[in-house]
Amino acid sequence: MALNHQDASSPAAMREPGEDSTASVRRDADAPKGAVVAATKRKEPPPETLGSIHLRTTVILSFWAIIVFFGLPLWWKTTAIYRADLPLDEMMDWDKGVACRPVFPLRISIEASSLQEHEAQHLLRTTQHALDDLNDFSAHHLRLQLAQPANASISADGSTTGGLEDEVALTIKVLPGPEQASELQSYSPVLDIYYTPNQVPSSSSSSSPLATYIANQLRTIFAEEQAMIAHLLSTSSAPPERSPKAPPPEVAEALAKWTSRSMKYSPTYHLTFSLFTPTATPSSWDIETAIEEHMKPLLDTLSSISNFTIDTQVQLYASPGVSGALLKKEDLSGFINAAEWPLSPSIGGAPTINFILYAGDMEVEGGGRSWLIPQWGGVVVQANVTDLRPTMLIFSNQLLALLGAPEAGSLPLRLMTLIRVRSAGLLLKASGTLGSLARLTRALPSISIPQSVAEGVYTTIEHLRKACDGLGGKEALRNARIAEEAAEKAFFEKSMVGQVYFPDEHKVAVYLPLLGPIGVPLVMGLLKDFKAWKKRRSAI
Amino acid sequence: MSIDRRKAALFCTAAAVRLLLFTAFPGLPDLLTGRVEISTPVTSFKRLQEGLFLYNHNVSPYDGGVYHQAPLLLPLFSLLPNSLDYPIFTYIIYILVDLLSADALMKIADSGEARSSKLYTSPRKDKKWGSLEIAAAFLFNPFTIATCIGRPTSVFTSCAILHAVAKAVAGSSLTSIFALTFAAYLSMYPILLLPPLLLLCFDRRRSESSINFFLGCASAVGGSTYALLQMSYIITGSWEFLSSTYGVHLLLPDLTPNVGLWWYFFIEMFDSFRNFFLGVFWLHLSSYVGGLTIRLRRQPLFVVTILLGIFAIFKPYPSISDTSLFLAMLPLYQHVFPLMRYTFLTTSTVLYATLLGPAFYYLWVYAGSGNANFFYAITLVWSLGLSVLVGDILFAVLRDEWEVERPEMKGKEIRQI
Amino acid sequence: MRLSKLLQLPLVLTSLLLPLPVATEHTSNWAVLVSTSRFWFNYRHLANVLSLYRTVKRLGIPDSQIILMLPDDMACNPRNAFPGTVYSNADRAVDLYGDNIEVDYRGYEVTVENFIRLLTDRVGEEMPRSKRLLTDDGSNILVYMTGHGGNEFLKFQDAEEISAFDLADAFEQMWEKKRYHELLFMIDTCQANTMYSKFYSPNIIATGSSEIDESSYSHHADNDVGVAVIDRYTYYNLEFLETKVREPSSKTTVGDLFDSYDSAKIHSNAGIRYDLFPGGEKAARERLLMDFFGNVQNVEVDTTNSSSGNSTDAEWEEDILALGKKISELRKRQEALDLQAQAQVNNSSSVPPPGSLKSEVKLPTSKIRAAKVEVDNSWFGKKAVGAWALAGCSLVWLAGSYLESSPSAS
Repeated sequence: MALNHQDASSPAAMREPGEDSTASVRRDADAPKGAVVAATKRKEPPPETLGSIHLRTTVILSFWAIIVFFGLPLWWKTTAIYRADLPLDEMMDWDKGVACRPVFPLRISIEASSLQEHEAQHLLRTTQHALDDLNDFSAHHLRLQLAQPANASISADGSTTGGLEDEVALTIKVLPGPEQASELQSYSPVLDIYYTPNQVPSSSSSSSPLATYIANQLRTIFAEEQAMIAHLLSTSSAPPERSPKAPPPEVAEALAKWTSRSMKYSPTYHLTFSLFTPTATPSSWDIETAIEEHMKPLLDTLSSISNFTIDTQVQLYASPGVSGALLKKEDLSGFINAAEWPLSPSIGGAPTINFILYAGDMEVEGGGRSWLIPQWGGVVVQANVTDLRPTMLIFSNQLLALLGAPEAGSLPLRLMTLIRVRSAGLLLKASGTLGSLARLTRALPSISIPQSVAEGVYTTIEHLRKACDGLGGKEALRNARIAEEAAEKAFFEKSMVGQVYFPDEHKVAVYLPLLGPIGVPLVMGLLKDFKAWKKRRSAI
Repeated sequence: MSIDRRKAALFCTAAAVRLLLFTAFPGLPDLLTGRVEISTPVTSFKRLQEGLFLYNHNVSPYDGGVYHQAPLLLPLFSLLPNSLDYPIFTYIIYILVDLLSADALMKIADSGEARSSKLYTSPRKDKKWGSLEIAAAFLFNPFTIATCIGRPTSVFTSCAILHAVAKAVAGSSLTSIFALTFAAYLSMYPILLLPPLLLLCFDRRRSESSINFFLGCASAVGGSTYALLQMSYIITGSWEFLSSTYGVHLLLPDLTPNVGLWWYFFIEMFDSFRNFFLGVFWLHLSSYVGGLTIRLRRQPLFVVTILLGIFAIFKPYPSISDTSLFLAMLPLYQHVFPLMRYTFLTTSTVLYATLLGPAFYYLWVYAGSGNANFFYAITLVWSLGLSVLVGDILFAVLRDEWEVERPEMKGKEIRQI
Repeated sequence: MRLSKLLQLPLVLTSLLLPLPVATEHTSNWAVLVSTSRFWFNYRHLANVLSLYRTVKRLGIPDSQIILMLPDDMACNPRNAFPGTVYSNADRAVDLYGDNIEVDYRGYEVTVENFIRLLTDRVGEEMPRSKRLLTDDGSNILVYMTGHGGNEFLKFQDAEEISAFDLADAFEQMWEKKRYHELLFMIDTCQANTMYSKFYSPNIIATGSSEIDESSYSHHADNDVGVAVIDRYTYYNLEFLETKVREPSSKTTVGDLFDSYDSAKIHSNAGIRYDLFPGGEKAARERLLMDFFGNVQNVEVDTTNSSSGNSTDAEWEEDILALGKKISELRKRQEALDLQAQAQVNNSSSVPPPGSLKSEVKLPTSKIRAAKVEVDNSWFGKKAVGAWALAGCSLVWLAGSYLESSPSAS
């Protein structure tokens, strides 16, 4: 074709020319860049001019300049794994419980308007003494104080409002009465104590029956809460010396049950009320009014802890997973027909609590028509659905149980206990999450840690600190909730996923096929030029 | 006079051919617009329409992530009537752009820079094609025609580059730089042509100190870039367009297949190495500029030509429009064609890829009887063919230079060792 | 479990003396069933997973707690001679694809990344709860995987693979975040035992179908379906579960299942790993199969109201009274607070309204930009801008040309 340079030349002659002296290295634009050496077939080609040597060196250097000034920084920057600085030691401190010593100082105010000032003071002292003797769990202690005179407290209400109210966990009203008795008011956190006149402590004695009685009453009231908190602390990774001695087996069992029963904390829960009927009737229930009347008040009172969303459904011709008029206790777990009943997990982000009313005539072996399924919901079997009041009452009790409220005590007390227990639980959970994150960061050096994780960690620590300082109040729950949310978000950061494991031979496989063909001519060109330069120097 | 008449005849014929294709096959423009060989995510006419629609309805054209082209195209195209109702206006614009490109090409050819620059005169300078032949080779190149019918916005870039070169050859540095920054503004990669272009300009202007010249040029580049970007900012109302246009060139988020080498590679790449290899590919592309400019200091126009060839192979979103630009510049070096050694191989490889490419794409995407490797293999062959062509023409030019140094070797075979 | 944990620090000895059943307590059961291969000739892998899916559902794990990953749809494959069905046995007695199947991850959603995201729960806000593994420290998890694998890896689809190291790290992250109580890992693939060899997190029992350098084989083919329908290891596991674990109250142990593995039948040496489990082999073997394959529900029957309706009614009445009073009190307080808040607003009157006003004003404008496409009223303005831009560019060009042409002429 167009190739008209057809000098006959033997291959042997062609390979002969010295590869160093006259070869003019030229850049070929072909990829990969190849050093093209053109030489003549003559044995002694004329020496290269200084200009062309210089030119060649500059060309080689221009390529290397790009590699050194752009390529290497690029390589360094893009293959580095970004790891934001995390306060690992501090995180571990939280996890180990070093950073925060959870204490619940509960203030209990005593109103003893019928007693003399000094008598009241004395009663306070002796009672506190008795309480301290009884208490073996330092994290949870009750501190008594005298209530301000009634008129003062009213005037103070306007200015200090929440502070006082938050702090006082229980008010004791010491009243004279025909016999020694105590009564927990059911609508407010007030304990009425009645005493007989002869029980008024004399200022000389170091103890009095009334004080001991009050102390015992208090201890009984708060025993469950104390056990719960102790249990929480003991299951966390807090140092063991802080935990109280192990509770008796029956208490431990109750606590284990409580733990397994109650839902994990969430700021919002979704309640689903379902009516399942085996036949075509009943096909409707008056659920709206029932919820409005019986459920709403309870939910309103719970709103300081969690919010609730509600939906309801009716399913006809729904058959349960087990049949027969008498349900065996073992069969109850199969009662819910998971395959056919539309009880899907909620679409939103909140966990669902299911309440099921089954309109059939069945009874559990040994009596009972309702049962609670831990961390899931409650079931009531009732043939007649015209009166929903008893059902709703069962549901509301089940709801309280599922939320982890204590079983005994008046409702306000139970709620306040729930707040305290929840904030302790959240505090511990967030601390544990921080520890997990810290350990994970250390264990997996190749996982990337974006800045958002570090921010989340600092938010968590800040709010944990606040929560820890104010444990026992509503503010603590709020802070603990924020801390827990931030910690979870940091731990479950979406971008912290990827194939962590990347062995070195894989890296070779990634780099070599592409960089090899580019790199070899570049390196060879540099070496060759360097050799020629040395030769010239030695020649001079 | 006769040259002018022949030129007019040539241009009229070229315009007529295009108009005929547009009107005789009404389905053809849309068909070609959809071809991945012609339209890339950063030049597609369809995407331009989408951006235009959003722009005309007061929505940011970059919302939706479809439009990745320069903002300035939008007001310019909004001057035209809707291309769906009156496509003829769009056709005329694209035909005009082609003719303008051909005109610039003729100016370059007429200057004779390719054969004899300030520092170098080829021993073969008498063997030449006239500028008309060169323009004809451009205008009747099937790749050029297909590009024109497919209406990607890359033709504006090509036109701007050709004008930049034409002005540089005429020694008009300011307009040349303005044209080049406009090209770079449209598709970013032409900025890499700046060093050889400045040298070309510098060589063609006789009397000036180099420092003054390069300082002036640098400020001209800065000024015109600033003006264009500021104008875009005024048009779109935010700087968001930077990431949606140049960001797309740099980071390659859209992996629609094209005739280049990047898309398949980045489909397969491990995510953690993606950024590194994006950098490597870009550095690879730009590393040629320095070396070639130094090595071929005496023939800056050829550096521009060969860089256009390299870009057509290795840029992130290449299309046959880039190849047609390279093939337009190539005949300027017709005098060294006899020194090329692999013309047969190159021609057959490129033809092979041209014919089989669409077939394999069909097998993969429509028939489903092939997979992505089919099409990728054919783009490899295509790139290989172009690489051989680029390497061969480089060899020919170097040999041409070498023969000046060593006149006794003229006509003898040499060998690479 | 709680009890033993409570005691385990000071009193290891006493915890050993305690009856073991206490320690088995978990509160929920989850199953993660994964097939990793697609295409018709891998029919058996999907059948494997679907058979296991059917089994755990039969034993009581609800769909909401089963994560099923199927990379292909065999039932609707055009080559399927029995459209809409999948069988794991040539007798075709049970259609595994019945009407009640809930596939959580399907087709190209089955990727290594999604699988690891599932395990570690590192998912976006957009992920529905049904596709998440919402386990906690009381959850027992069954993880079953099947597909094509090799030494320390398991291929996902045709494009990627999960390595034993990645899997081990994922489990470690789960353990670290208390996302499982105990975990049974089963895998049926070639060289399966290598996949669990890198685990290092506690409370895992692992078993696999074949040793290193050993293949796993299919059990039999259905000539009408045209491909193998089930793998040997899975087949014998299922056989055991179908025959020995008939009902949820079954007391069959994990050890019993492992003892049933017969390399002459499976044609490969099934492996078992106990060392991660606290208590080692003995404790692990004593776990009930139902702890992993069934669903635990320690229901609590309310016996309070069972004895007689009347006495408890009083209690309820009392409770509701309390509620009512509480509510009225709350209302009163709320009203007081409202009044107070109002007073505050009045005092510092000017501060809050502008803020609220601003947010009200801001919202609609930001919305328009994103979504609303207006009818183009200002087309003239657009054209003006276009003309301006065009004129500007050409003016620069012409001015430049003129400036440069005159000196060269002179």
